[in-house]
Amino acid sequence: MPDILENLLKNPYIWQGQSHIQQADLECLPSGYSKLDQHLPGGGWPQNSLTEILLDNYGTGELRLLMPALTHLSFPTDDSDSGWIAWIAPPFEPFPPALKEWGMNLSRILIIWPNRFKDILWTAEQALSSGTCAAVLLWPNILDDVASRRLQLAAKKGQSWAIAFRPFNAQSQISAAKLRIRMDVSAEGTHLNIFKICGGRPVIVRDYAS
Amino acid sequence: MSSTDKPSSRLREIASALTPKLTQKNQISLNLSLAEASKVGPLLASDVSSKHLWLGIYLSALPLEAIIKTPTPAAVFESENGARKLLLANKQAAESGITPGLTVNAALALMPSLLIQERNLVRENQVLNELAEWAEKFTSFICIEQPSLLLLEIAGSLKLFGGVSLLRQQIVNELEDKGLSTHIAIAPTPLAATWLARAGHKVCIRDPRNLVSKLRAVPLHALHWPSTVCTTLNEMGVETVGEILRLPREGFTRRFGKICLLELDRAVGKYPDPRTRYQSNERFSIDFDLEGEQEAAASLLNICWELLLQLEKFLLQRQLSVQQIDLTFFFFRKPFKKIELGILQADNIAQRWFDLLKIKFENLDLDAPVIAIRLCSGYGQEFTTVTDDLKLSLRQKKYQDISIDNLVERLSARIGSDSVYGVMTVDEHRPQCAWQPRLLSERMIDHSSRLIYQENNHVPRFLTELKHAHNLVIKRPLWILREPQPLSIDNGMPIYKGVLDFITGPERIETGWWDHDGISRDYFMAVNPAGVCLWIYQNCGGKGSGDWYLHGKFG
Repeated sequence: MPDILENLLKNPYIWQGQSHIQQADLECLPSGYSKLDQHLPGGGWPQNSLTEILLDNYGTGELRLLMPALTHLSFPTDDSDSGWIAWIAPPFEPFPPALKEWGMNLSRILIIWPNRFKDILWTAEQALSSGTCAAVLLWPNILDDVASRRLQLAAKKGQSWAIAFRPFNAQSQISAAKLRIRMDVSAEGTHLNIFKICGGRPVIVRDYAS
Repeated sequence: MSSTDKPSSRLREIASALTPKLTQKNQISLNLSLAEASKVGPLLASDVSSKHLWLGIYLSALPLEAIIKTPTPAAVFESENGARKLLLANKQAAESGITPGLTVNAALALMPSLLIQERNLVRENQVLNELAEWAEKFTSFICIEQPSLLLLEIAGSLKLFGGVSLLRQQIVNELEDKGLSTHIAIAPTPLAATWLARAGHKVCIRDPRNLVSKLRAVPLHALHWPSTVCTTLNEMGVETVGEILRLPREGFTRRFGKICLLELDRAVGKYPDPRTRYQSNERFSIDFDLEGEQEAAASLLNICWELLLQLEKFLLQRQLSVQQIDLTFFFFRKPFKKIELGILQADNIAQRWFDLLKIKFENLDLDAPVIAIRLCSGYGQEFTTVTDDLKLSLRQKKYQDISIDNLVERLSARIGSDSVYGVMTVDEHRPQCAWQPRLLSERMIDHSSRLIYQENNHVPRFLTELKHAHNLVIKRPLWILREPQPLSIDNGMPIYKGVLDFITGPERIETGWWDHDGISRDYFMAVNPAGVCLWIYQNCGGKGSGDWYLHGKFG
């Protein structure tokens, strides 16, 4: 009987919450927002994995949430050719003067506009697994569970951080992302609804920037 | 590998050839009479010639071997004033009494089965060029002497190939494999090597002091002097170079002109004899005709791989690398299709191109069978290898499969190079002009990254500084719209999904009148009821004054 249970627990499809998080997976990067960091296991964005950010409309503060972490990543600590931030099929043009105001290293920005949908995922996988991109931001129209698993694996392989921006209706879909956050923007501030978090507890962070 | 300074191997030669006494004589040697030259000849070789060693390859049967490669009796003829006379016959034909100089009709009467073709100078030239390219693996300095002769400067190559006899043997062997009959002679001056090779004297003269004595036996016809000069000399009873050298210098000049004298001086090394170097093609181009029509991507890829291997060989021989190659596919009765492949750092490895080509093929729609493929390379650049920084690679813990260059190349190959770019800011007040795409070429990546990295030594502090985003003064939106979007007006104020709450502004941007794209705008930062932070502006002045536009989102 215990054998069966053990075998069952070894099944990678069974997710076991915080007890079984391996140390290697727990590489985190402070988000720059202390209120948010308190609720993230390890105290920051989980690296080497896929993070999903769900929002109502693009341009409602999703970049502000990430900018401190991305800025940090764009300065590689060793003098190597890594630390690239890839932007794949963004909804608008990223504005370099603003990126500069946030302190970003502009020489590490890579903007990619694939012409077709399937190229978005292909590009993201290439960029993630290359090992040169510290973070890969992508705006896919569709992201099914197979695709999200592939991105998750590519991020792990290339020790990169994948961030997929998706609409609200994606919340009900299955995803292999380690962290899924819904951004509820209101006049009182932006509330982060962390509804899936590997190694932590789902929580709503109200007005995270305060 | 070049023929330039290799001090160790040559010092001894030079030292032995140059004693102070000799150099003194060199200076006056040009004024000496030819008769004197022949007497003191061995001592007169100048240092000019001792620095070089020339290997002459004379293709004695080139007119024949260039066009006919059969073991049956064959001959080549040449038309001269309407008379068709045999120029060369192969061994099998010669056994049956076919000799050069016979008329074509006489030859055919002697031997009806004889294969006869007219001499093809174009083809001969082609063979010479092919040989020159082949010879580039032995030396970097080759010149073609029309007709039928190649000169290789080998002084710099001796050490690499293990000495003059080994090098010579290798050249002879490879030429034999090509089925060419050759005479090879080695001499310190190019002209001497030419004459000796033409005369069929298989000598190897390394010491300039032996040059004149060896040249003496060269017959007059090997010099390729004008026929009038040769006839006159023959009538005088002069038949070899040795006999010419015995003639008085002044009289010789008077009779035959300065040019012949100059040639003699050059041959014995009294006068410099600069040569033009054979320049091989800088670009690679090859056409491949398919035997049948091909449509399957796999078999086409195989052919492309073969072509790429040839390109690799071409580039390696020249120590070159290229940044771009073009592959053109030809169809039957349809316009051709061209694929351009580019990489950021020039390379000469076939595999690298092949990987890119495979990516390109995934999206390629050839929609018709291919009948031919052409591969052209861009201009070659000198190949440089980059040595990895030892310290860096030890420090580098992070897994790195491919470099950013590779990544950009792969992405460009699939989705087009226009769709992959970096960014840079421009010192401009107009928002739409304040930035521009940055090409991710090799130099820029290295340069800019290192520079900024050094400037920002306070990197680790960044996070603490950014702890609270509102500490930063953010005046520009992270998202910019390519085309400003007109906003509708309610009660004289702009709305965007509700009434807007103005936070900052106005910021007047009025500039650019000088290039006909001037703007005059008041920019505001505004928040709508949903909490979205917008960057909007109102035109002030000019056409459309007072109109409101959305230009960006603070994201």
